[in-house]
Amino acid sequence: MAKSLLIISRQSPWSGPGAREALDIVLAGGAFDLPIGLLFLDDGVFQLAARQDAKSLQQKDLSANLQALPMFGVEALFFCADSAAERGLDPGALSLEEAGPLTAGEITALIDRYDQVITL
Amino acid sequence: MSTLHVLSHSPFGDSRLSSCLRIIGAADALLLSGDAAYALQPGTVPFATLQTRGLKLYVLAEDAQARAIDVPDWARAIDYPAFVELSIQHDKVNTWL
Repeated sequence: MAKSLLIISRQSPWSGPGAREALDIVLAGGAFDLPIGLLFLDDGVFQLAARQDAKSLQQKDLSANLQALPMFGVEALFFCADSAAERGLDPGALSLEEAGPLTAGEITALIDRYDQVITL
Repeated sequence: MSTLHVLSHSPFGDSRLSSCLRIIGAADALLLSGDAAYALQPGTVPFATLQTRGLKLYVLAEDAQARAIDVPDWARAIDYPAFVELSIQHDKVNTWL
């Protein structure tokens, strides 16, 4: 049995390559059927904001890649409810419907459940 | 299950420490390396927060020494072999990159 891996993504989508790299790890792991989970924490929850539009930045936003996660077999998708609330994000209007909100205590338990953790 | 959380960024102007303290578990430990050692600067919010939390708290001795940080008695200054030992003792290491 492959070791399970939890990726904690805590960078905003436009602050640098961190958010995309975290997502790439998750999609690659999913493609190889690894037991993999993804948690959005801190500014990482901004990746889930609906109606992002980076056309004028001449960049592609991550929304389409995020929608691919369930297709790649990544169904363990979570976000920190406190991070979202602090940043004024409505948990019911995020771009990734599959992601579930977790409290701080639930995040502690989530980390416990996985064999390995990478925080980017 | 226990996790060793490793921080290496300054807590001033960065949310890694506060976020880590929010989700750290009772069996977990926290190691401060590099600029994260500034969390032990007396008279600051991070210092007071860590003092009252009573965590299993470690700091790399050479990083504290280089930054003129006196390690308080509620934290343990360790060297690299002890860092390796801690990594082995815990089920996993979560490095806050």
